[in-house]
Formats: sequence, C-alpha cells, structure tokens
Amino acid sequence: MLAITKSLFAQKRLLKDLVVRDLKARYVGSSMGFFWSVVFPILNLFVYMFVFNLVLNMRWSDHSSNGEVPLIMLIGILIWVAFSETVSRTTNCLVENANLIQKVVFPSEVLPIYLTGSSLVNMTLGIVVAMFGIAWFAYVDPTTFDWDVVRQNLEPGEPMPRVMRLGMPLVTLPILYVLQAVFTIGLGYMLATLNLILRDTYHLVGVFLTVWMFGTPIFYPAALVEKAGYGWLLNLNPMYWLIDSYRDVLIYGDWPRLGFVVQFGVVAVVTFALGAAFFRSQKDRFPDLL
Amino acid sequence: MSNATERARVESHSTGASTSAIHCQDLSKAYQMYAKPIHRLWDVMRLGGPRYQEFWAVRNVYLDIPHGSTVGIIGENGAGKSTLLKLLTGITKPTTGTVEVQGRVASLLELGAGFHPEFSGRENIYLNCSILGMNEEEIDRRYQSIVDFSELGDFIERPVKTYSSGMYVRLGFSVAASVDPDIFIIDEALSVGDEHFKGKCTNRLNEFREQGKTIVFVSHDMGAVKSMCQWVVLMDKGEVLEQGTAEKVSDQYLKRAHERGNERLSALHRGTSEYPRWGSGEIEVVDTQMIAADGSKSHVFRTDEPFRVRLTWKAHAAAKRPVFGLGIYRSDGTYVNGSNHEWRHDPIELLDVKAGEEGEVEMSFDSMPLLQGQYYLTSFVYDHSKAAPTAIDHREHVLTFEVIDALHHQHGLLYLPTLWQVSRRAGGGPTEVRESRR
Repeated sequence: MLAITKSLFAQKRLLKDLVVRDLKARYVGSSMGFFWSVVFPILNLFVYMFVFNLVLNMRWSDHSSNGEVPLIMLIGILIWVAFSETVSRTTNCLVENANLIQKVVFPSEVLPIYLTGSSLVNMTLGIVVAMFGIAWFAYVDPTTFDWDVVRQNLEPGEPMPRVMRLGMPLVTLPILYVLQAVFTIGLGYMLATLNLILRDTYHLVGVFLTVWMFGTPIFYPAALVEKAGYGWLLNLNPMYWLIDSYRDVLIYGDWPRLGFVVQFGVVAVVTFALGAAFFRSQKDRFPDLL
Repeated sequence: MSNATERARVESHSTGASTSAIHCQDLSKAYQMYAKPIHRLWDVMRLGGPRYQEFWAVRNVYLDIPHGSTVGIIGENGAGKSTLLKLLTGITKPTTGTVEVQGRVASLLELGAGFHPEFSGRENIYLNCSILGMNEEEIDRRYQSIVDFSELGDFIERPVKTYSSGMYVRLGFSVAASVDPDIFIIDEALSVGDEHFKGKCTNRLNEFREQGKTIVFVSHDMGAVKSMCQWVVLMDKGEVLEQGTAEKVSDQYLKRAHERGNERLSALHRGTSEYPRWGSGEIEVVDTQMIAADGSKSHVFRTDEPFRVRLTWKAHAAAKRPVFGLGIYRSDGTYVNGSNHEWRHDPIELLDVKAGEEGEVEMSFDSMPLLQGQYYLTSFVYDHSKAAPTAIDHREHVLTFEVIDALHHQHGLLYLPTLWQVSRRAGGGPTEVRESRR
C-alpha cells in the first residue's frame, strides 16, 4: 500500500494530465461542454421523481420542506453516479488501456486513481449546483413549520423534521471526499485485476451495481426500509452510510453521524488495502493477461 | 542446450558485462495458456491446479549489447522477437533469467500508443510525453522540435482522428524520438510512412548512432537489418539460433529462408487447380518444374543463380502445329516476361504431333534476373496452324516461386548488369576515372 502511494506521488503530473484529458474527453465535441455534468443528474432526478413520487405514489414524510425531496434525491444521485460510474469504468480500465500496458512501460496503478479523480471533479460540479438550490430554499424561500402542530402529528419514533441550512459542518466534506475516493479506488483495484483474470467480471459488476443502487436509500427514505424490517440491509451497506453523511452535511448543515463516518472509513481503508495488495501481486502479469 | 546458445554465451562473455547497455542472462519467458478463462481464476485463488500449459515464447537467451552498437534482431513471425523486445524494455517480466539495462530506453513497439482520437496533435503530444515520463518543462522544451519533425504544420491543432495513417505514424515517431534515449528499441516501425519520412527517420537513427547511442532494431527484412546493423541476432522458435556479424548471420538466415520457402511453396502447390485453365486439350502439360543449378527441384532461387523450367507434355489427340510457351509474373500480377520456342531468331517448329506422343520442353536461364520477391509462372500451349493462334492448354498460375536477393545491391524488379564510371578532377588537374563492372 505504501509502495502504491509512493509511486502515485512520482506520477502526479501524469495523473493530472490524465484527469484533465478525461474531463475534456467527456465533453469534447459536445456544444454544452461541462454543462452536461449538471444536466445529466438533474434529468435523472426528474425521471426518478416521476417514477417514485408520482407513479408509485411514495411519500418521504408528512413534513418535508419545499424542495427537500428533490434535493435529497439529487445529492444521492450525484454521489451514487460518481461511485458506480467509476467502479464500472475502473473494472474495465486495464483492458481498455491494453495498448499502453502492452507497448509502453506504463504505471497502470494510476488508472483507477485518475478515473476516480475525474469523476469526483464531475460530482463537485453537480454538488455546487445543488448547493445553490439548498441555499435558495434555506434562505430565499424557506419553509416555516408550526412546530407545535408538527410535534402533535409526529408518529411515535419519528424524528423531528429538519430545515435546510448551510453550516460549519461543511468543513467535513473533504473527509467524505477522501474516504469515498479511498473506497472507490480500492474496489477499483480489486475489480480491475479480477477482470483481467476473468473478463466476465465487467458484466457482473454492471448487474451488481444496478442491484446495489436500488438497495440503497437514494430514491426512498431509509426509514421506509427500517419500517419494512430490512434495517439490517442498511447496516451492511457502506454506500448508505456515505450518502447519509453527505446529506447531513450538505442539506441540513448537521455534523455527519460519527458512527457512519468511522464505519465507512474502516471499510474504505480495508477495501483499499486488500484491493491494492491484490493489484500489486498481479501487476507484473498484466501485459501477459491482456 | 543447443550449440547456438552455447556459442552465444561464449561470445557475450568475451565482451564483458560492465560496458554493456543491455545484458541478458539465460532469459526465458513462458506464457500460461488456459483452456478455459475460469481456470485462470481458480489458479489465482490456488484452488488446486495448476491448470495451464506453458508456451515458451523466449528461451535461454544470452545477449550482450555494448553501448553505442546497433544490433538487429531477425527472425520469422512467431520467432519470439517481439517478446524479447518487451522483455528488454521491461514491459513484461522474464520467467527466468535477468535483463540488465543501463540508460534511458525509448521503445517504438507501437507508434502513437495512447493517442486519443478526439484530441488535437498538440494535446496528444503533451499527454504522450508525460506517459513516456517527461516533465512539463522537458515537454515545453521539446514541443517545437516534435512538431517540426512531424511536419504536421497546422494539422497539429486538429483532432488526431482526422489524421491520415501516415500523419499518425509521423506524430508517433516524432514523440518517441524526442525522448532522447540512451537506448532506442524499434520494432519495424520504419516500414510505415512515405519514402520522404522514412528517410528522415533513418537520418534520425544515424544521428543517434553518431552520438554513441545504442539501437536495437527488429525486423524480418534482412535487407533493412543488414544496411543498419553491424551485429545481428537470428531468432527461431524463441531461441537465439545464431548471432554475429551481419554477413555471417544473413547467410544462415537465407539458407533457412530457402528451406522454409521450399516447404511452404510446395505445400501451396497442391491446390493450384483453383487457377483458371482452358484450351481445346489435344495436348496436356502434365507437369511443370523449376530446377536449380544442381539439378534438384526447387521453388526458391537466388538472384544471379542459373535455373531451368521444364514442362512435361502428353498428346491425347493429333495437333498440327503446337507451340509451348511460358509467362513469368510477379506476385502482384506484373507481367515480367513471356516467350515461346517458335518466335525466335532460330525457331523450333513442332509439326504433326500424333496422339500418344509425349516429351519435355525446357527453358534455361544462365542467371536469375529477378530481384527479391514472389513470382509465378503461367504455361501455355497454342496451336499456331491458324492465322490467330488458339489455346490448346493454357494454365494460369501453374507454379509459384520465390527469389531471394542475398546481396541487395539493386532494387526493383530486375537485376541488370551494369557498368558504372565515376570521374573526378580538381581545377585543371588530371581526371581520375574509376570503373565498376559488377
């Protein structure tokens, strides 16, 4: 793991170039350029809102403030897309860059990292736009609750509704970013290596990510899962811990739940250590496996 | 261990390892071949096995390449040349043995590896250079010379996907050559691009050589290797068969090419009936053979060597005035020569052939006039008793043969005996004239 970190430091220029190239490649030749990184998640949001809220008639809570549901969903989508897109691209990254690995002495360990970096930059653009929305509903068009009425109508065990605000806890964002990156890269190392050994991995990952997405409370509240008795699922899903932490910080200006952050951090570091070790153990064979 | 490897080892030891740019000892590479992909996974997880079969692409190679030398590696397809290059560049790791390389290596195993089609030449230069390990300042310093060398002009700002394949290769070579390597490893990259750019590449390589840099050049074109390299390594089936001066190895190579060519071409002959054959059929050419100077049947000849073509015929019915002829074509269809035994200064007339008669027709050449390449013969028998000759037995593509030009003194289609004269004089002084007859 240390060796990988060291080689990354040596390759930081290459890494930067690759990230820039990847970001450009996303939008080169399209007239709206970077705008797409915002349009795409919002379009997604409309689709899912239509399906879950209108067609399936699902309600988040009786006490949602204006704009809260779309923003919760949007943040969830942004984090999830950055994660799943990177995992699926990383799984295939060695195969895709076969001609670099086979024809040039190339530090293949930078590939999962640059893909992660590029998607985090892309995710940031979406988050910035979402924050404008949050600021609007928090300060320009806030929802005022009549707290006594709300308290009377709460079902037993239901938490008090929160209002949107921007606050100090935003300083924890970099920590969430780093942990997300560590987790994604670690998973990427593992799957990219596995994919060289068995090409079916790429297809399996695609299926698995879809199942995982719908198993994560992105388009529906976590409370719904708990009420249905599937709370244990949430206790196994690191992406839920991560997305919930982002939502606490970004939407409500709260500190993330310490338990979630620590759990996620441990999973991320362990995943990274295992992934990186597997990657390194097979790295010398990459040119032969392609 | 074979004789050749033994010899290679002795030679490498005499050079000494301390001054060498590349030093390989007992270098071997085995690839693991799996019958099913899933077996690979089981093996990685150490669940029983091993389940693979080994394929040794390179076996027991001892190489010692001193600084400043130009070395050619030659062999047929599948001889292990490319794998050896990958081992030398460090792209792939040896299964056994060691490679020691002193100095910065640039490899041209593939030009433009890692170019992104949507990006401009400029962006690709920057990215490719950073993949090759240059820092920003180094790239800035070299950028202009890369662009100048590639001669892409304004195209440098256009996406690489709009480039012709020649432009793509030019850009790739320019980038790779700009690395300023101590050791330059080239895999037949020069065989692409137009003549003008090829010339530039050769010049660049000569510059490298003059600067005392090491060049390793891989090819299956003996001519190219011979013109560039003093030392040649001949590979076959993963092993070094022979290494030594270009003259010594090229003889061995040609001998092998000769044998191989004969095997391959005689295998080719079994299926000649697929080529067109027509005629009225009174006389049949039952066999066509090419015969070398020593009287043996052959399909491979050297330029300048004597040879004969022999047709064996049989008459099934009476023919009034049959004439046998032979056409020679180059593999691309160029008609090189056609002749028969009647249209000559001293014609041979063959009159009133009866059914059941048979015989041979031979055409002899004092020296093979063709240069390196593949050629084929067309045999024909025509009835010349009428005003316009009609076909009796016309066989297209009856025989394929190969010509190997060991000397590479002339280029093109034909070897032409020439007399060269060169004269020089200095302001009013006597004229010095020199002549060369061969």
